[in-house]
Amino acid sequence: MRNTFIYDGYGEPTRAQRVTQRSLKLTRRLLIHLLLIGGSLVMLAPFLWMITTALKPDKDIYTWPPRILPSEYHFENFGLAMEQAPFAQYFLNSLILASFHVIFNVALCSMAGYGFARYQFRGRRPLFLLVLAKMMVPAQVTLIPVFVLMRMFPLAGDNDILGQGGTGFVNTYAGLVLPGAVTAFGIFLFRQFFLNLPVELEDAARIDGCSEFRIYWNIMLPLCKPAAVTLGIFSFEAGWNSFLWPLVITQSNEMRTIQLGLTVFRGENQTQWAFLMAGTTLAIIPMIIIFIVGQRYFIKGISTSGITG
Amino acid sequence: MKGDEAMLKENPAYSPPMVVQSNKKSKGFDLERKKRRAAWLFILPAMLHFMLFTSLPVFAALGLSLTNFSILREVQWVGLDNYGRILKDDVFWTVVGNTLQYAFWTVLLTVTLALGVAILLDQKLRARTWYRTAFYLPHVTSTAAISVLWIWLYSPQFGLFNAVVGWFGVPKQNWLANPGLAMYAIIIMSVWMSVGTYMVLYLAGLQNIPPELYDAAKVDGAARWALFRYITVPLLKPTTFLVLVTCLIKAFQVFDQIYIMTGGGPGYATSTVAHQIYKQAFENLNLGYASAMAFLLCLLIFGITMINNRLFNWDNVNA
Repeated sequence: MRNTFIYDGYGEPTRAQRVTQRSLKLTRRLLIHLLLIGGSLVMLAPFLWMITTALKPDKDIYTWPPRILPSEYHFENFGLAMEQAPFAQYFLNSLILASFHVIFNVALCSMAGYGFARYQFRGRRPLFLLVLAKMMVPAQVTLIPVFVLMRMFPLAGDNDILGQGGTGFVNTYAGLVLPGAVTAFGIFLFRQFFLNLPVELEDAARIDGCSEFRIYWNIMLPLCKPAAVTLGIFSFEAGWNSFLWPLVITQSNEMRTIQLGLTVFRGENQTQWAFLMAGTTLAIIPMIIIFIVGQRYFIKGISTSGITG
Repeated sequence: MKGDEAMLKENPAYSPPMVVQSNKKSKGFDLERKKRRAAWLFILPAMLHFMLFTSLPVFAALGLSLTNFSILREVQWVGLDNYGRILKDDVFWTVVGNTLQYAFWTVLLTVTLALGVAILLDQKLRARTWYRTAFYLPHVTSTAAISVLWIWLYSPQFGLFNAVVGWFGVPKQNWLANPGLAMYAIIIMSVWMSVGTYMVLYLAGLQNIPPELYDAAKVDGAARWALFRYITVPLLKPTTFLVLVTCLIKAFQVFDQIYIMTGGGPGYATSTVAHQIYKQAFENLNLGYASAMAFLLCLLIFGITMINNRLFNWDNVNA
């Protein structure tokens, strides 16, 4: 006796069985969507809460149960927050840090990646393996020596030739930017890209008397735009979002990045949540814009390399 | 040995061996040298940076860990003293315990949820990209901003988190000030923050599984669970391994959220190894002691990376 409603896989399904099949499939889809919508809500709710808090008047913030939407929208909270703390200066410092990371990383990593990919020379393999090993060194180990190095850098920041007497690169933009100026990930990424370009390109240019640097700059590098964009986005993200190194190397308020500024502002103004959330929104927005514009590079970058952040 | 002329006399077909003159001015040699020099010039800036900011510091850290270095006083060699003091320090073992607690729960929850979401998303769905974006969004924002935001969510009097758990009958809690809850509060935030990252890795892994395998198994009458158990799980092994190792290494280094959300407190309830390294080095200026602690952390992480080497196929690099 065949089951009236559930298709057992033998022969043609009856009409009743087809209906059950279709409704089962529909229920399944619905369940998946419900799960995913629930999950997405959990992911997005904190961000929405951040934005609505930033726009709320105080009476909507200090209330229980919490109000989701503001009773009135106070866009001037953003302006007021800027008066409470030098968020504009923090923002600018972060922008400087992130932009220099992008410039240095794209320029120096593409050069190194090109050198490793397109030339034969003694020591190439061990040096490249060393670059890969760099990815495995945890930040905590190099943190202290790099800080000492920056502080005792000869002839920087009133230091003498032995690195004594002054403060070196501590609390300067150079100190902020330099340690992250080259990343192993960037060298690795560019090398993979350059390996795939045909050798005829450079040979033809060489016969025409092109210098090695011009071959790299005018012919090969323009072909690696996707790698440059990917690394550019990653370097910007790393610079913009970095916390530990700026915390260690900056001392004065004028040198703080936005990530640091937020935590300082919280320490000093425990209860001004509207202003703090306005500052947090400012700290997050540039990355969200970059993410929306360059989403495919993000996804590609982390799924092809397996190296996250 | 006879000269060429004598050889020629004996055998008219003899031709003298070619003597290659190493003419350094010939074009080919010049080009090779030029290329070698160019190669070194190309990699030089990156290698200098590498020497200055990675190689040298690793050795310096080892050296510093054997001294009582502090910017304020004279340096003295203390041998393995720092290591001995660390291993006898109760605070160190407390924070090691906290780090392990954090790592265990974060890795377990993150990896399970990431795999779950990836499986849900690995099919033709309307609004699939939207879901993916929602889950990935926290990854692009900074841990610092997220931590500040979550302090507000966890606010004992007015926080959204208390309201949400209140729907399930949980009374209001002071999540970050309660020694029994603070670490779990940080873990929940960290899982929320990193699920999307590993979900993307899993999605890439799932999409590499050839659909023919599923089709063949379905023809043989395999149930949905069997498909998952005997095809998905084994073929995702490399991805799972990669995800586990990256997630674990990151968890062992956790610092930003600890420093911002609780400052290691209440007491030492949420302090981690990385947090203690920072405190010893930059608040107490015990740079030697902190270096020794950093080296111990490095050994731990290096051990995990060694396991990773089995996964990372060096042959594929073919340098």
